[in-house]
Amino acid sequence: MKKTLVILLLISLLLPLSLFAAGTKEDKVDESKPVTVNYWTHEDPARTKLETELIEQFMKENPNITVVRTTQSAVKQIELVQTAFAANQGPDMFNLPIENQYAYITNGRVAPVDYQAAGYKDKNDLLDKYMDGVLDTVTVGGEVYGLPLELTNWSIYINKKVFRSAGLDPEKDFPRTWEEMADVSEKLVIRDGDILVRRGFDFRYPYYLTFFVPMVEQLGGELLSADGKKAIIGDDAWIKALTFMQQWGPSGRNLGSPTYKNARNIFNQDNNDIAMAHTGLYQQGRIEQDNPDFFNSREWMVVPFPVFENAVRNVAACYYGHFFMVNADSDPAVQKAAWKLSAFLLSHGEEYLTRGGNIIQPTKALFASDTLKNMPYSQVFIDDMARAHMVYYGEDSSVIQTQIRYAVESVMLSGVSPEKALATLRAAVQEIIDEQ
Amino acid sequence: MANKKYRGIERKQARWGFLFVLPSMLFFSLFNFYPIINAFYTSFFDKRALSKLAPKFVGLGNYERLFRLSTAANPLSFYNSLRATLVFTLGTFIPLLVLSLILAVFISNLSNNRAKKFLQISYYAPAVLSSVVAATIWMIIFDPRGLGNQWVNGLLHTPGVDRRWLVDPVMEQVSTMIIYFWKYIGYFVILFITGLASIPPTIYEAAIIDGANKNQTFWRITLPLLKPTVVLVSVMAMLQCLKTFSTQYMIYTNGAPRAPINVITFNIYVTGIQQQYLGRASAMSVVLFIMMMLLTLLQFKTTKSENVDY
Repeated sequence: MKKTLVILLLISLLLPLSLFAAGTKEDKVDESKPVTVNYWTHEDPARTKLETELIEQFMKENPNITVVRTTQSAVKQIELVQTAFAANQGPDMFNLPIENQYAYITNGRVAPVDYQAAGYKDKNDLLDKYMDGVLDTVTVGGEVYGLPLELTNWSIYINKKVFRSAGLDPEKDFPRTWEEMADVSEKLVIRDGDILVRRGFDFRYPYYLTFFVPMVEQLGGELLSADGKKAIIGDDAWIKALTFMQQWGPSGRNLGSPTYKNARNIFNQDNNDIAMAHTGLYQQGRIEQDNPDFFNSREWMVVPFPVFENAVRNVAACYYGHFFMVNADSDPAVQKAAWKLSAFLLSHGEEYLTRGGNIIQPTKALFASDTLKNMPYSQVFIDDMARAHMVYYGEDSSVIQTQIRYAVESVMLSGVSPEKALATLRAAVQEIIDEQ
Repeated sequence: MANKKYRGIERKQARWGFLFVLPSMLFFSLFNFYPIINAFYTSFFDKRALSKLAPKFVGLGNYERLFRLSTAANPLSFYNSLRATLVFTLGTFIPLLVLSLILAVFISNLSNNRAKKFLQISYYAPAVLSSVVAATIWMIIFDPRGLGNQWVNGLLHTPGVDRRWLVDPVMEQVSTMIIYFWKYIGYFVILFITGLASIPPTIYEAAIIDGANKNQTFWRITLPLLKPTVVLVSVMAMLQCLKTFSTQYMIYTNGAPRAPINVITFNIYVTGIQQQYLGRASAMSVVLFIMMMLLTLLQFKTTKSENVDY
């Protein structure tokens, strides 16, 4: 009895090893075996509708692959994916903003693109299909780790009616500099005592890496030194940008504040609440959905991201990307299926642009297409993208953004001087970098 | 011999009792003891959420970093979190305790049963509301164009003044206290009502016959006999306040500055989940755990008295 037990125990211990040995000898993955791809993504009703259709079509064409698509709110998605990976239970395929996603590459959590499974001859064939430099963000050690679901930048949306109600001509009087932005906003603002009943423009709090760092860069400052070892370069630029934000807030000219309702959302309502909002091409789909009358009236327009009057660099708001990535710990057959699915979805770029949430997939084909060129004001976004760069996406980008948020909001809301806020910011960001 | 037999039955019964308790003990161990022990263990390591590498042993390094004096000036430091937690706990727990007792006595003394039920449900309702609904309600109130400014300005005849509910550091802390108070007052009122209902009415009848007035009845009978409930409610309210998280999270995500409301639990969330420093977040959890243990022990010791028998 005891002997039998010992033998059974030995077999159960050795069996997985023997299977593993077989796997190393034979690297070929059985691509026809039934697999399930768990795909986690953020909520976007228009994209959900399109992807549900596309996934159905994909499963029909690949009967051995089952796709389970799960959505969460964009903020929750970041935490859920991270918690799941920390417990080694991450999804097979997912997308996040690159500033949150990059750490998955550096920590070896995601697999490099399987070019053949994704339908490319090789790496060069893949690079050739995308706009120059777009895949640099996800290229580490010569390997590409993601395929871009979307590349987004923000320009300034204007409600023409609100401009006219303040005696301004939107076509001529729209702000080209940040100084003009403050002055034009002053003319547009309606106050009840200290309370802003109507705002001219308000920023896209709390995405400070996307809009505030470029403002600092316009004045000659940098977040990090070229070698990435020193934090906060160009004190004058930082202090000037922080002073501008201080003047913008309730303790200065009282033009806006992070505690008011999100400018981007109330812009769609056309309720005489706000004249300008900072957002992307995708906003057009949302305006159309929330307020078709306003969308069809064309009483809105889009203008470029302003620069400071004495700017030393002409930089627009950063663009950011969401990339499809595949879990390195998923079964090899599942990984192949996930890359196949990614490539299939991304082969419908024009549909994503027109009915999948107006998102831009940075392929050369899409940028050359009439579909993109014919989208209202798409050229403004393309031009702004040309003078912008990818948002800072280092491993600690979210922590650094938190620190910038604290610096900006302490000068805007808590009466801290820009010099003191900058000193605190420098110490905090330097510590974060040193810890790495 | 009989005694031995009796002990055998007792042991047999105890064995069954143990068997019945076992599932909940296992459940409790798995979901309470294991995380506590794991947090203690993790607090000695530099563990990052996404890293596949083995966590590096740093001894007391995480604790040393939390209490490093050079970080004290940083408004997002652990020192500031200790301050924010203490301010919030004192500012919320004392009014919660006193006002829930007053409201419970008021409701218990109502003669109209329907009014009693209505008030109990009304006070308790916020406790069952989801955080999302609560957030929506309070953001409407605290918006600069919202009801908060309208009510206060209407009351004080000061049109157009922005009270800066979520902007001014002091007002922001007061706002979190108001929200928390609103959400949990009903829960503690119900606990006090239950405690009040367990006091035999004969004692009140005897007191009235002896000529005691309402004031004397409250201070000489109700309050002393309610002492076990007061201790229970004060310990629970204090622990709840020390663990506060969702109120601060909700306010922060709606644009308010973090430093004034960066309580320990919120700092744990930011450090562990957003910044991925699980070891450091575990060290904060351990410090919070020790604080809660010590304060609870202190409270039990200072309020210790003879058992109340009726």
